[in-house]
Amino acid sequence: MMAVGQAHNRNSFLDNLAKNLGRERRHHVEKPNWTHQPQWEVLKGASQDDLVEVLKKQCKLIHTDIHETVSSELSTLITHLIKEYGAKTVVTWDDPRFEEFGLNDLDEELSNEQVTVHTWDREGAEENLAFSATADIGITFSDATLAESGTVVLYSDKGKGRAVSLLPAVYLAIIPKSTIVPRMTQVATEIHRKVEKGDMVPSCVNFISGPSNSADIEMNLIVGVHGPVKATYIIVDDK
Amino acid sequence: MAMKIGDKPFKERVSDGIDDKFMRGAVSSAQGRFRSGRLNAAEELGNWEDWRKLGEEIRSHTIENLDYYLELLSENVTKRGGHVFFAETAEEANDYITNVVKQKNGKKVVKSKSMVTEEINMNEALEKAGCEVIESDLGEWILQVDDHDPPSHIVTPALHKNKEQIRDVFRDKLGYDKTEKPEELALFAREKLREEFLQADIGITGCNFAIAESGTISLVTNEGNARMVTTIPKTQITVMGMERIVPTWEEMEVLVSLLTRAAVGQKLTSYITALTGPKQEGEVDGPEEFHLVVVDNGRSKILGTAFQSILHCIRCAACINVCPVYRHVGGHSYGSIYPGPVGAVLSPLLGGYEEYKELPYASTLCAACTEACPVKIPLHEHLLRHRQEIVEKEGKAPVFENLSMKAFSMGTASPAMYNIGSKLAPTALGAFAKDDKISDGPGPLKNWTEIRDFPAPKKDRFRDLYKKRKKERGE
Amino acid sequence: MKVSLFVTCLIDIFQTDVGLDTVELLEKLGCEVDFPEKQTCCGQPAYNSGYVDKAKESMKHMIKVFEHSDYVVTPSGSCGTMFREYPHIFKGDPEWEERAKKLADKTYELTQFIVDVLGVEDVGAKLNGTATYHTSCHMTRLLGVTEAPMKLLSNVEGLEMKPLPHNYNCCGFGGTFSVKMTSISEQMVDEKVQSVEDSGAHILIGADCGCLMNIGGRIDRKEKPIKVMHIASVLNSRS
Ligand code: SF4
Repeated sequence: MMAVGQAHNRNSFLDNLAKNLGRERRHHVEKPNWTHQPQWEVLKGASQDDLVEVLKKQCKLIHTDIHETVSSELSTLITHLIKEYGAKTVVTWDDPRFEEFGLNDLDEELSNEQVTVHTWDREGAEENLAFSATADIGITFSDATLAESGTVVLYSDKGKGRAVSLLPAVYLAIIPKSTIVPRMTQVATEIHRKVEKGDMVPSCVNFISGPSNSADIEMNLIVGVHGPVKATYIIVDDK
Repeated sequence: MAMKIGDKPFKERVSDGIDDKFMRGAVSSAQGRFRSGRLNAAEELGNWEDWRKLGEEIRSHTIENLDYYLELLSENVTKRGGHVFFAETAEEANDYITNVVKQKNGKKVVKSKSMVTEEINMNEALEKAGCEVIESDLGEWILQVDDHDPPSHIVTPALHKNKEQIRDVFRDKLGYDKTEKPEELALFAREKLREEFLQADIGITGCNFAIAESGTISLVTNEGNARMVTTIPKTQITVMGMERIVPTWEEMEVLVSLLTRAAVGQKLTSYITALTGPKQEGEVDGPEEFHLVVVDNGRSKILGTAFQSILHCIRCAACINVCPVYRHVGGHSYGSIYPGPVGAVLSPLLGGYEEYKELPYASTLCAACTEACPVKIPLHEHLLRHRQEIVEKEGKAPVFENLSMKAFSMGTASPAMYNIGSKLAPTALGAFAKDDKISDGPGPLKNWTEIRDFPAPKKDRFRDLYKKRKKERGE
Repeated sequence: MKVSLFVTCLIDIFQTDVGLDTVELLEKLGCEVDFPEKQTCCGQPAYNSGYVDKAKESMKHMIKVFEHSDYVVTPSGSCGTMFREYPHIFKGDPEWEERAKKLADKTYELTQFIVDVLGVEDVGAKLNGTATYHTSCHMTRLLGVTEAPMKLLSNVEGLEMKPLPHNYNCCGFGGTFSVKMTSISEQMVDEKVQSVEDSGAHILIGADCGCLMNIGGRIDRKEKPIKVMHIASVLNSRS
C-alpha cells in the first residue's frame, strides 16, 4: 500500500474561495447533465472499417506512416521496417501482447541482422532509460486508438515504461484493429467509469498523435523536437 | 520574470511595437495561419457553437463550485501518494517549491511551459536558492538563452523573433554554427536539451487541466518536453493556477478538444499526457515524488465579481490570434506576460489599475475576441466593464474626458441641449473647415485630424432639412 | 407600414444626405416614415467609455422618444446594436427593463428591416461602378446582420461587387478609441484602406457612419481615388 501524501493550507484557502463566492463551503456537488453533448455525434455509427479509413486519412495530416497487416504477417512487417529504417537498437515493452501476436522471436530474428533488441526490464531502472535514450526505435502496442485524431493511447504499467514511446528517434505503435474507437470521448468515458468503480487510473496515460513537433520558430512546422522524429503505426487485424 | 514586463510607459511600449516592422510581419502572418487553422478545425466539427456552449457550461459550473472540486482534487492526489500545497501568494508558492528542491538536494531543474510559474517569478526564486533552471519548451528556451527576453504570446512565446534572430542568439550564446533553417535550429535544441533532461533531478510543469475525480494532471503539448520532464527526473512539481481544473475525465476531454482546435487548429496536439501521482510500485520510470502547488495569487478576488468568467479561460490564445490591436502593437506592448484581449481583461485584475489601466482602452470593442473564444467568455464586455470601474470607482479617467462626458450626457439626455449643441457645431468648427473637410481640428478632434480628415458639420442638420422637406410637401 | 427613423447624431450633424436617402428609400418601399424630433443619441460614446450612469440618461430619453413607434429603423448597425443592448443594460431595473426590451424588440438596422421585415431583396436601385462592402464589427458580430446588405447590393443594377480581402478586420474606429489610441487606430485604418485598394473597387460601401467617417477620412487624407458611400445612398440611387 502506498503512502498517503499531505495537503497543506487547504482549509483556509478553500474557505476563502467559498467566502468570495458568497456562500458556505460545499462538500458535495452533483455534476449536472450538460445541455449540449456534441462530442458523441462525431463519427457516430461508423463501422470498424470506416474508422480505419478515418485513421489512415488523419495519419497523413500528422506526418505519420501507417501500414495494415494481419497477425501472421506482423512479425515479418516489423522486421522489414526495422531494416528499412536502418535501425541498430530497438526497445520494446514487456507486454504479453508481443507473444500473442507472434513477436516473441523478434530479437532472435533480428540478432542475425546485428540489431539489438532490449525488452523493458521491470527490475532495472537506469539501464532502461540509458538504452532508450540512444535507441533507434521504440515499439509498443496501443491500448486504445482514436480514429479522429490519429492517436494511440498508452497506459503505463510495470512492463510498460513511459520512455519507450518517447526517447528513441522512431516510434512504432502496433494498433490491434479492435482497439480503434471514434475519438477521445470514448476513452475518457471508459476511464471515468473505472474511476467511479474505484479502480486505479494508470500513473501515466499518454495520448500520442504522431511524431513530436513544434511551430515555435516563425510558425513553421518542425517535425521532431524532443520526442521521436518519426512515428509509424501498424494496424493489425486481430479478429 | 513576474507578470509585469518592461518598465516603459504604455505609450512608449506601443510605439516601440508599431515601429518593429519584423515583429509585426511575423505576428500578422502567424495570425493568418492561426485563423485558418482554427476555422478549419471548427468547421470540420460542423457544430462548433454547440461545442462552445458545452465548454462554457462546464467552465462556469466548475468555477462556481471551485472549492468543492479543489478539495476533491487534493484528496485524490494525496490518496495516490502525492503532496498538495495551496498557495495564496506567489511568495508562498515559491517558498514551498524552493523547499522541496532543497530537500531533494536538487541542482538542475528542467521545466516545461507554464505561464503561472512566470507569473509568480519562480525561476528567479529557484536561481537565488542556487539552482540551475532550464526551460525546455523550444520557444521558452530561445527566450531564456536570449537573456530572458519576455514572452509575447501565451502559446508561442517567441512569436516576435525571426529565424535569423534565433540563429544569432544561438551563435552568440551557445556557439551554434549552422544555418537559420528551423529544422537545424530545432535539432540543435534537441541535442542540447537532451543532455539536460538526462541529468536533471527536478522536473517542473504547468497544468492545462487537473481532473478532480482522480487527482490527475493533464498536459497538452507538441514537442515532447513535458513528457521528458515527467519521465526522467526523480521529483516532479506541478504548478497550477487554481482555476485550471475540471470535474472528471469526460470534461477534460471536451476542453482539450476545444483547446487544441482553438489554439492551433489541431484535432489533438501530439501529446496529451495525463499523470496521476508519482509512479506506481514496480514501475521503472516516472517520478518517485510528486508535488502539486495550487496558486491563487489574486485570482480569488475575481470570484463573485462581474469578472468571474475570465477565470473560465483555458489559455488557448484564440482571442490574441484574432485581435487587430495585438497584431499591430505586439505582445510586449501590453506590459504583461498575458497580452491581447485576455491579458487586457486579466492583467488589471491581477496587477491592478495603477499598472494596467490603459489596457482596457486599447480595444475598439470589435468583439473579434468574444467571437473566437472557445468557452464563450464575453471579453469585449469585460473590457467595457473595466472602463466603467475605472470611471466610476477609481475616478482615474483623463480629466478632459470626464468633462466632455458630462457635457455629453447633458446634451443627449435633453433634446433642448442637444438642439443647441448640434446647432452650434458648424459655427464652432466652421473656422477649421476647408472644402467641407477639417484637417486640423481643435480639442479632441486634434487627435482625429492628426491622421485623417473630419467632415465639416453641415449648415443645416438632417432634422432641419427634414422639416423643410415636410413643409415643401405640404405635410 | 409606419416606421420611425432613428437617424443617429453623426448623420444628423455630418451626413445629412444619408438621412434623406434613408427617408426616400423607405418611402419608395411603401413605408410611412416619421422622425421623432426629440431624439438625440443612443448613448454609445458615453457607454463605451465607461460612463454608464451618464449614458443611461440618454438611453432613458431615447426609450421615451420611441415609445409610441411600431418599428424603429436606423441606418447604422452600431447604433442599432446599442438599442438592442438596452435591456441588458437596464437588467433588474423595475421601471426601465421592460420598456428597454420593447424598444430593442422593434429596432432594426435599415438593411435588416428591408430584407427581414419588408421581405424585399431588390429595391430597384441603379448605380454604375465597382464597389466593395465593409462589414462593420458591431453590425456583423453583435447584431448578427451579415446577409441582408449583400443581398440588397447584389441586386443593384450596374453595380459590380468585389470581395473585400480580410473583411473581418476592424477598421480601427471604435468610437473614442480613434482619438485616444490614435497611433494604433492609424495602423488599423491603413490596413483597411489597403484592403479596399486591393479589392480593386472604386466605391467603398458601408452601413455604419462611424466606420465610414474613419475610413473615408483616411482615404481623403491619403488622396486615394475611392468614393465612400453609405448603403442607404447606394440603395436610393437611380442612375
Ligand atoms: S479568453 Fe478565451 S480565447 Fe482568450 S485565451 Fe482564454 S479561452 Fe482562449
